[in-house]
Amino acid sequence: MNRKNAVWAIGFALLLAGCTADNTPFPSKPITVIVPWAAGGGTDGIARALAKEASDVFGVMWTVNNKTGGMGVSGHDFGARARADGYTLTLITYELCTYKALGRANLGPDDFKAIVQINEDPGAITVQADSPWNTLQDMINHAKENPKAVKVGNSGPGSVWHIGAAMLEKEAGVEFTHVPHDGAAPAVVQLLGGHIDAVAVSPAEVRQHVEVGRLKILGIMSKERMADFAEVPTVVEQGVNVVHGTWRGLAAPKHTPDEIVATLEEGCKKVYDSPAFQEAAKQAYLGLQYRNASDFQEFLKQQEIAATEMVSDNG
Amino acid sequence: MEPSIFQGFQVALEFGNFLVLFIGVTLGILIGALPGLTATMGVALLLPFTIGAQMSAAASMSMLIGIYIGAIFGGSIPAVLIRTPGTPASAATLMDGFPMCQAGNAGEALGLVTFGSFCGGMISCAIMIFLSPVISHFAERFSYAEYFALAVFGLSMIASISGGNVLKGMISGIFGLLLATVGFDPVSGVPRYTFGMPGLLDGVSFIPALIGLFAFSQVFMDISILTQGKFEQPALKNMIPRIGGMLKHWFLIVRTALMGTFVGSLPGAGCDIAAFIGLNEAKRSSRHPEKFGTGIPEGILGPEACKSGATGGAMIPMLTLGIPGDAVTAIMLGALTIQGLQPGPLLFKDHLDVVYPFFASMILANIVMIFVGFVSAKYIAKIVSIDKKILLPVICVLSVIGAYAMRQSLFDVAVAIVMGVVGFAMRKWDYPAAPIVLALILGPMAESNLRRALLLPDASVMMFFTRPITAVLLLFAIGTVIFGLRSSMKSGTAVSDAR
Repeated sequence: MNRKNAVWAIGFALLLAGCTADNTPFPSKPITVIVPWAAGGGTDGIARALAKEASDVFGVMWTVNNKTGGMGVSGHDFGARARADGYTLTLITYELCTYKALGRANLGPDDFKAIVQINEDPGAITVQADSPWNTLQDMINHAKENPKAVKVGNSGPGSVWHIGAAMLEKEAGVEFTHVPHDGAAPAVVQLLGGHIDAVAVSPAEVRQHVEVGRLKILGIMSKERMADFAEVPTVVEQGVNVVHGTWRGLAAPKHTPDEIVATLEEGCKKVYDSPAFQEAAKQAYLGLQYRNASDFQEFLKQQEIAATEMVSDNG
Repeated sequence: MEPSIFQGFQVALEFGNFLVLFIGVTLGILIGALPGLTATMGVALLLPFTIGAQMSAAASMSMLIGIYIGAIFGGSIPAVLIRTPGTPASAATLMDGFPMCQAGNAGEALGLVTFGSFCGGMISCAIMIFLSPVISHFAERFSYAEYFALAVFGLSMIASISGGNVLKGMISGIFGLLLATVGFDPVSGVPRYTFGMPGLLDGVSFIPALIGLFAFSQVFMDISILTQGKFEQPALKNMIPRIGGMLKHWFLIVRTALMGTFVGSLPGAGCDIAAFIGLNEAKRSSRHPEKFGTGIPEGILGPEACKSGATGGAMIPMLTLGIPGDAVTAIMLGALTIQGLQPGPLLFKDHLDVVYPFFASMILANIVMIFVGFVSAKYIAKIVSIDKKILLPVICVLSVIGAYAMRQSLFDVAVAIVMGVVGFAMRKWDYPAAPIVLALILGPMAESNLRRALLLPDASVMMFFTRPITAVLLLFAIGTVIFGLRSSMKSGTAVSDAR
């Protein structure tokens, strides 16, 4: 909180100094990145890796401020309402595109100006290693014959993986029983204990259990196979047309001047390409995916449309 | 060199690593002792620091473990001295700790806290080192019905912690359960009873509510006594704790520490639940349950050993499954990931060089804790002799900061003040506050798991009888209620006899 106050204090000081800020090149003071999720999580990790490299590239300090609560609403809301001067940015996540549809907050990608996308992780349909199902089709066939019998755990009601499993359900024409949890980790524990039949979470969240032979992945919801799981077919390959995943990117409040966004975009591309950032993402098993500002903005719009459609179909 | 626990100690005792561990424990005690600054927050605050300082994996884990162990212990210091739990886990300790302190035995109360906490921590370390795989395997058998039954067992303790009046205890418990329904519905995700206030989306913020119920209500209480001019400063005697008297309760300590370790190892159940289970067990096994709440050693040792037992327990799912046992270990997991280490089944296979120093640091942190605890008890105990006219404003300021700090939200400060007024009214009319705490912790756990269990296609009421763990826990719950009612009737007659 001290850091944030310091940023404000400097901001006001500059304002009082007769708006000299107009002539100083951007950026000339520390930049704060709002992270809507808790310290120590995946989003926080990638934000810190980004901030560390960005401090070098931009020549000003980048600090991370975790503003948690309301399933990400608090942080996104704070970031959207911040002064649109490029000094308060938000690490936006998939959930931003679901708030309106779920009736959680009147908040969406329109409240932000996209800068860059830096990460994307597809959903992985995972079951116990000794499950009788060896392909996604086996699971779908079972679900067809026994509607609602297949228990699929997800990371929370209306969460990215709940929506992913619902997409699979709709596309394959079956019915699952969705079991929401308080995050992906408890869902994985329930799967390990054999209390549910499958989970839809990111590959990183089940990777170790797959490697030691307790779980297996039936299909991954990415466009192409993943390098780390080359032997696992995509969901599309198995005849179900679903491409879905979670993603993270950097965005500024919507009224931020275009030239500032352009400067940030250019610098963040350098950060993204730096070996240190790439290595940090790899260590945390976070998928790397770059989109520039205009592509990311377009992508955000589509994501919100898709999520809204999915939520209204499922009530 | 072949990794072994000795090599672990060698790494953990390297000057730099031990230094940050020592700093971590001391800082942790301070953080824990400040109301509102919890173990979770301490670890979250220090994590960026360990990254910024480019610490090695061993050093950063030493520091974070130190903070965790220190803060869980430190939370009980203000609970005992000024009836304000520094962390939620200490709400159980104050029920006997504070009366003991008021009787002038502040030093002894602190000694009991330190000793109980140390024993619990050490026993849970031993379990963690030798039995992690076994415990985590058993914990995997806990599904929704079992978690629901555990929460019900916890809630049944309201009967035994209500201090003589079970009816009033139940009224506060139900009030707490009602408060616990505020926020996102755990199954449908729809906001409930938030009245359009974003600050209530996650429910009534727990830490600010706790600060209000205990810190503010105590301040209001003291002010009302001070203005009537009836206030007596508690005397200070028995400054040095005696270990001999504590060893008498060794069996209670071992039992509660083992229970705490197991509760801690369940993802989603941590130190706070453990502390109440410890208190309940101490009271259940006591020959004079009616004396609880008057300031007896068992009332401190039980919850302290059980709550510190949960610290080692919480590490078990993190190390064996890569899944956090509580909010603090969730952050530690992140810290290890940043260091390029993925906790989980592979860590035990590939990275014993990290696992053993981790174990060693846990043990050392507990040793540093008892050392700092005993050395400082004499000085810290003097807080009770500070003039209330100085102490109360200080508590107020710290409480407002604590309520604000959690989410940097003024809304939470308002929550704390409102709950302070509620807490004051409750004390005036003799309603116990502990049931609200218990209900706020366990209400969401009971609700979400019952509803998940009922979602399943094979759900039926029979699950409460046919699932062995569920059935046993529900039996415990029934037993606790019967016991609570009986002992409250007994103490009820004791009071009327005295009149």
